[in-house]
Amino acid sequence: MIAGAWRAAVKVLRSARLATWLLAFVGAWSVAGTLVPQSNAGPDVVAKWAAAHAGLEPVVRTLGFHDAFTSPVFTACIVVLALCTALCAWERTRLAVGKARILRRSAVLDASALAGDHDLEIACGPALSGDEVLARTAAKLGELGVKTKRADGVLAAVSSPWSVWGSPVFHWALFALMVALIVGNLMRASGLMGISVGETKTDAPTSYGLVHAGPLYDWSRVHRSIRVDAFDPAYRSDGIDRGPTPTVSLLDAAGNVLKTQRVYPNMTLKSGTLTIYPSDFGFTTGLTLLNSKGAETGHSAQLVDFSDTKDGTSASGSLNVRDNAGNVLLSFSVTVPLDRVGGALVRRIPKQPAVRVVATGPDGAKVLDAIVREGATVVLPTGDSLRLDGIDYYARLSLVDDGSIPLLYAGLIVAVLGLTLAVAARQQIVMATVIEGSEGTKLALKMRLWRNASSSRSEIESELALALGEDLDTKESTP
Amino acid sequence: MTLEIILMWFTLTFYAAATATYAFGVTFSKEKLTGRALYVATAGLAFQIASLGIRWERLGHGPYLGFYEVANALVLCVVAFFVVVAWRNPRLSAAGMAIMPVAVVLLGGAMLSSKAGLPITAKLASYWLFIHVAFANLAFAAFAISFGCAVTYVIRVHSKTGKWTARLQKLPAQDVLENLTVRFVLVGFLFWAIMIATGAIWANEAWGSYWSWDPIETWSLIVWIIYAVYLHVRFTLKWHGERLAWFAIVAMPLALFALIGIPLAFNTPHAGIGGLGKDF
Repeated sequence: MIAGAWRAAVKVLRSARLATWLLAFVGAWSVAGTLVPQSNAGPDVVAKWAAAHAGLEPVVRTLGFHDAFTSPVFTACIVVLALCTALCAWERTRLAVGKARILRRSAVLDASALAGDHDLEIACGPALSGDEVLARTAAKLGELGVKTKRADGVLAAVSSPWSVWGSPVFHWALFALMVALIVGNLMRASGLMGISVGETKTDAPTSYGLVHAGPLYDWSRVHRSIRVDAFDPAYRSDGIDRGPTPTVSLLDAAGNVLKTQRVYPNMTLKSGTLTIYPSDFGFTTGLTLLNSKGAETGHSAQLVDFSDTKDGTSASGSLNVRDNAGNVLLSFSVTVPLDRVGGALVRRIPKQPAVRVVATGPDGAKVLDAIVREGATVVLPTGDSLRLDGIDYYARLSLVDDGSIPLLYAGLIVAVLGLTLAVAARQQIVMATVIEGSEGTKLALKMRLWRNASSSRSEIESELALALGEDLDTKESTP
Repeated sequence: MTLEIILMWFTLTFYAAATATYAFGVTFSKEKLTGRALYVATAGLAFQIASLGIRWERLGHGPYLGFYEVANALVLCVVAFFVVVAWRNPRLSAAGMAIMPVAVVLLGGAMLSSKAGLPITAKLASYWLFIHVAFANLAFAAFAISFGCAVTYVIRVHSKTGKWTARLQKLPAQDVLENLTVRFVLVGFLFWAIMIATGAIWANEAWGSYWSWDPIETWSLIVWIIYAVYLHVRFTLKWHGERLAWFAIVAMPLALFALIGIPLAFNTPHAGIGGLGKDF
């Protein structure tokens, strides 16, 4: 019973019709995926679209179109398509083996063998000698793009046996790519890590602001740290503005620097399977909390991001001041009002560095809104003071650790090579010889135009009939 | 008006003249005219190469950025591909009556758009740019030729009075024309695959992510899948004849939409390339 079910499943998956419909479905699904905002564009974008398309939204949400390319439906289709591809590749391999065998055998056929094993005969004009028939045939075939070689009374244009391997190689490479993509997603980790200039962070889930790791990714094998040594908000090289550019160091578990370089678009830091790319940047503000007697009670580095607000920045979090029992007395957030040039906000540290401190009490009511310059303090309603030690940049780095990349590259290269062979290599057998008999001179032809032939069987037949003697009938030979 | 733009207007004029000559030549069965049309198209191509060469020298980069350059590069590849094919195989020259209008419409649109040069930005400063864009253009050119072959195939099929069959008699037989359509689709399919592969490798080298389902990436894949379906129905489901030709005719505008329409419609990392000149 299991064997029967297996055979039935294989039969279904081998179906060319199923593969075609699956391809069409993946294409149609992908079109829908580009028409509907995806979840990774942000909840605001999705909510705005949902509000504008209230009638469609329930259907879209039910079908999972907001996560079109990670939805179970799409994933299941890709898995089935991968299986179809594998079976299709297997089928094509079997076909290629057979075709290669035929090509090898045909390449050694001589005139007598061809006279006994051909597909059609063309009657020739009585005035034509055997030599003239072959010469005219070679010329006509050449005009039709079939270049022949003549040897021992046989004209032959037989493709090399390797010409049939393009399609199987391409399909196997596609299957390998699909497997590598699926396994790669299970084994890769990627995330965003904000690091201030001069700061070092270990590569661990807690260091990331946002991280996604596949179930097979092993964090216990990761022993490294990342440091941002410097930050140039407008780095230029080779006459090109490279944009905000951090200098990043990768350190091993012992703190030894493995690699240091500026990272900017097209200049990522690569080490083994790790790639570091600058995703964004912002400010880091150094703050010190002082008690009523002026003694330092705590330090904090608050990250500030650029935004569309009036000041041009927004706080990435808030700080709490608590009493001895741990109750929150005050929450405050910090932003950096940007300088304006010609009415536009400048994404640089202001010429006179300062932060805006907004504090709220336990009831959420605003109790403080003050500008604090570098080195200055502001007295909080609790009696404590807050000092701004300085403002610097932080780099939000994108870290991707993906061991499947070399496999993907290899798969892509093999797939392209296979496809090139499938597209460029002719798969054909065109052989001709002259048969002299009681019915006159005839041209015996053996033709297999499998792929990429420059002409068609009917065109070759009719053109040769014209070239070898007008008004003469052609007839199919008996097998 | 600079020499560069004057030459491009000459190009457009010659391409339009080639289109008209093809139309007259085929419609009135004037074989000589059809032959001359190829000369006119070739002359237009020479003007276009000169104009784009001047622009390349002036800006320091190839025609990659903004609608004017992208459309120009596509037209250049389509016409160059067609001219080479038609010179090598004069029987295919009449397919120019379907291919040259595509070039004229695209170049006409380019001439109406902004011709300002855009600088190469940090994200585009890579040798992958040339490879990626070159294969996109070559793929489109191959699809455009397959489109031309398919259109002429359908015209002959629908020639109920036989007039068009006679007018297009110089073209190869229908089965050969169909094979040629499939071969150009195969070539385009290969180039499109290389375009996607080089784009993925470049994206990974540039920002550590080889695929992010960005709309233009997704549409590139959609077009590739559409042509994969075409090849499957041709080779495994054994589709032939008119419906296969219609498939090639419908698929080509989708490839054009992926290359030019998507960067215009979506704010994608490719927006500055084919679309509105935005950086990313």
